[in-house]
Amino acid sequence: MSETKYLKTHEWYKIEENVITVGISDFAQGELGDIVFVTLPQVGQEFSKGDPMVEVEATKTVAEAYAPMNCKIIEVNSSLDVEPEIINNDPVGDGWMVKAEILDLDDTGMSYPEYESFIS
Amino acid sequence: MSDLNTTKLFEYHNTKGAKIINFAGWSMPFSYEGTLKEHQSVRTNAGFFDVSHMGRIELQYEQIKEISNLICSEIISLPNNKALYTIFTHENGNAIDDVIFWKFENRFVLICNASNTKKIEDHLNVNSIHFQNITENTSLIAVQGPTAIDKLSESFTIPENFHTYSKDDIYYARTGYTGEDGIEFMIPNNRVDEFINYLENLSIHPCGLGARDTLRLEASLPLYGFELTDLISPVEAGLKWTVTNSTNYKGKETLDQQISTGDRKYLKKFIYKGKQIPRTGTIAKSGDVNGLVTSGNISPVLEHPIGFVLFDSKPPTDLVEFDIRGNLVEGNLISKRFLS
Repeated sequence: MSETKYLKTHEWYKIEENVITVGISDFAQGELGDIVFVTLPQVGQEFSKGDPMVEVEATKTVAEAYAPMNCKIIEVNSSLDVEPEIINNDPVGDGWMVKAEILDLDDTGMSYPEYESFIS
Repeated sequence: MSDLNTTKLFEYHNTKGAKIINFAGWSMPFSYEGTLKEHQSVRTNAGFFDVSHMGRIELQYEQIKEISNLICSEIISLPNNKALYTIFTHENGNAIDDVIFWKFENRFVLICNASNTKKIEDHLNVNSIHFQNITENTSLIAVQGPTAIDKLSESFTIPENFHTYSKDDIYYARTGYTGEDGIEFMIPNNRVDEFINYLENLSIHPCGLGARDTLRLEASLPLYGFELTDLISPVEAGLKWTVTNSTNYKGKETLDQQISTGDRKYLKKFIYKGKQIPRTGTIAKSGDVNGLVTSGNISPVLEHPIGFVLFDSKPPTDLVEFDIRGNLVEGNLISKRFLS
């Protein structure tokens, strides 16, 4: 599996063969506060890079997670439907949101050190 | 660093790992352990809030008649050791601020919203009311929750609901903004660290403004700047019960007219059992009456969105449609409280 990379819009992604796993960063979950609802896409839905894929409602505000590249959803983390707080507790692990088939590879995200200096 | 005001407990909040936000010109704790956790601790046990950003203004009771001319509630007959929630109103009946008066035998204190302290001071000046702003010399700590009274009763005489009491230089009232029982304490700054230690020893922990907002919303309490503004009257905001002043105060004519004709805006409570939250500014419609959400958030107890919506006139049905980022969803207007 490739290293975890980050976008300026605070998503992370990991590439494994032709599949990306996407979630939001620890910084993002901290800014949102307690996450109370997550609206996930349907399996089979296609997204272009930059399209909103997931809607996250938190006590403080609402946010969207955007597609890091053109992709087609193959699996969603349905445990977030009942326990959205997993994103607060483990954003880059069990709090993953979707897995998607890569339609056009675009691996231009930031490494963690780059992302860390971006948010600081 | 910045021009923001800080309370005497700012360092304490930082050492407790608080997430700090800018609120009405003050650096204030938003949360420590998370809004939901803090909310539940106040609903089931007890917590405390540093609300020292709120304005504290000392008045002279001799000017009670002049003060009465500016608010919509009966205050002249207010006995000693009582608290009064009321609203300063403009000539057109709209709200300048919602406030609490604390009346003691030897003192008369007004507590106003942080965002409105300057506005209230100007209003008092224009109306020749003498006052002293004591916000910076004191801290205001709200201790709230079903176990709060029991825990505090070993060290403090507990007044009746909406009554005040004082012990040495600590002035307090059995009031709050969470829907739970509790006491709000005004404490000299040089004693506040000792008081916080005392609360922590009672296992009463700090809660942030995030939980204060979800608690007040769940308790159906208005927040100035949202449910009450310079464009909304107390009657429109569903606070007709505060309109008890029979003397000729500013705005009386309009408020009496709004009560008798019903020709006014209407603030209503809504519930929505979906996964999107109708938040402040969300467009709403009930029948052909337009409205806007003034506040909306999850109810941590009910586990679905709740809030207030302000309609241009009386909504004809109990159904309300929200436009959430282009998604039209239907909620219900309710007249009873969110929590039974």
